[in-house]
Amino acid sequence: MTRIGRRLRGWTNGILDLPQDVLQEMPRITLIGNKELYIENHRGVLHFSSEQLRLALTQGVLEISGEGLVIRNILGQELAVIGVIGEIRYKESGENP
Amino acid sequence: MKEPPLSSLRGFVTLHVSGPQVEKFINAVTGAGIIIWDVRPAGDGASLNLLLDDFFRLRPLLKKTGCRMHVTARHGLPFRLARLWRRKFFAAGILIFGVGLLLLSSMIWSVKVEGNTRIPTEDILEAARKEGVYPFQWIWRMQESDELSRELTTLVPGLTWAGFHRNGTSITIQVVEADRPDNKPLLSQRHLISRTDAVVTEIYAEQGRPVVSRNSRVKKGDILISGALGDEENTEFVVAKGMVKGLVWHEYNLEVPLKRTGSAYTGERKDRTYLVLGKWAIQLWGYGDSGFAKSRTLSEPDMLSWRSFQLPLGLMTEKELEIKYTTEALTSEAARAEGLTRAKSDIFARYGADSVIKSQKILHEKKENGKVYMKVLFEVEERIAEELPIVNN
Repeated sequence: MTRIGRRLRGWTNGILDLPQDVLQEMPRITLIGNKELYIENHRGVLHFSSEQLRLALTQGVLEISGEGLVIRNILGQELAVIGVIGEIRYKESGENP
Repeated sequence: MKEPPLSSLRGFVTLHVSGPQVEKFINAVTGAGIIIWDVRPAGDGASLNLLLDDFFRLRPLLKKTGCRMHVTARHGLPFRLARLWRRKFFAAGILIFGVGLLLLSSMIWSVKVEGNTRIPTEDILEAARKEGVYPFQWIWRMQESDELSRELTTLVPGLTWAGFHRNGTSITIQVVEADRPDNKPLLSQRHLISRTDAVVTEIYAEQGRPVVSRNSRVKKGDILISGALGDEENTEFVVAKGMVKGLVWHEYNLEVPLKRTGSAYTGERKDRTYLVLGKWAIQLWGYGDSGFAKSRTLSEPDMLSWRSFQLPLGLMTEKELEIKYTTEALTSEAARAEGLTRAKSDIFARYGADSVIKSQKILHEKKENGKVYMKVLFEVEERIAEELPIVNN
């Protein structure tokens, strides 16, 4: 993306007041209590165990730790996790898949 | 969304995937657009659920990521069908049973007829058979019941109404028979003749030719109303009908005792109850003498019975009722009145209740041996006609 294009996009976001996940490829994370977690716009699973789940994003890595984590379903870029969720850590710079 | 719609109908498998890079495999699967759900870490890999349709697309992905998998569970209809197919005859049995039950229960098994007294049941059943109502007929091939009842009514003569009522597999035909006038009794040709010597007081011929008139004397056996019409050459015989009354004399010899004895219950009674075992009776209650001078004993056995069998076991009640004999002396007037009453009731009983006693006359009366002897003459107006069949030979 060119600089002008990026600025244009930033400007339209500011003018139209659109949510960031629609225009920029950012994940939308929905957490319901500590039981269910919905992540949209991820870029694949990096690690998966019952204690930890690492997901790749367009920029960075999302680390989810907890107990008894289960991927309830995974479809394209959507993912639902259930279990007891303890931490969600967002790492801006990480290894990309 | 937990799992794809109708997943149990389309069939899904639970896989256990193991290998160095399970995550890569998961990414590859999602990248290929295959839906997986319930991914949980298990042992050295992960277990996941997958639709049966997508199962066969896994092989290249597995090869690419170097993972191994084995199926741990199969769910859903396709697997059930496959298992059922292995037991074909069992499945066929279930199917045949269901179909058989359905077919047999949609068949008429019995036809009953109710409410007929004159028309034979067979005739009604035969008519119903023509309408298509008979055992082993399919219920769906039967017509509507109002149609059936109308046609049956026209088919069976003497039916006023017929109703079809189906209860499961049995049909009840309820019929109402038409009322018919009573048949008139068949009478043979006859004359009406006199039963006794009399003087005719009234004659009324409903059918036939009256031969005698009022106030004529008739002898026993004289024709009163003739059943022969026409003259000597052209004669037709009919059933003579009519009413003839005449004056008849009856002589009664009466004897009435002057003493009248009678018995009556005083109302005093004593009950005894026995237990009956076969031939023996054991008295339970009512011991002791009744103290009655004259009595009559009535016993009522009350045996136990089971259905139609009489058991040799039961109770018997004996009632002892006190009796009082009474003697009443009659005056000769009272004795005479009683004798006359008795004679009159005898006349009414013998010659009909519509007889009229015109006069009575005591011809002779004497008192002897405690009795009153009387000879009485009654003049009675009564029916004197008697039937005499005409014999043609």
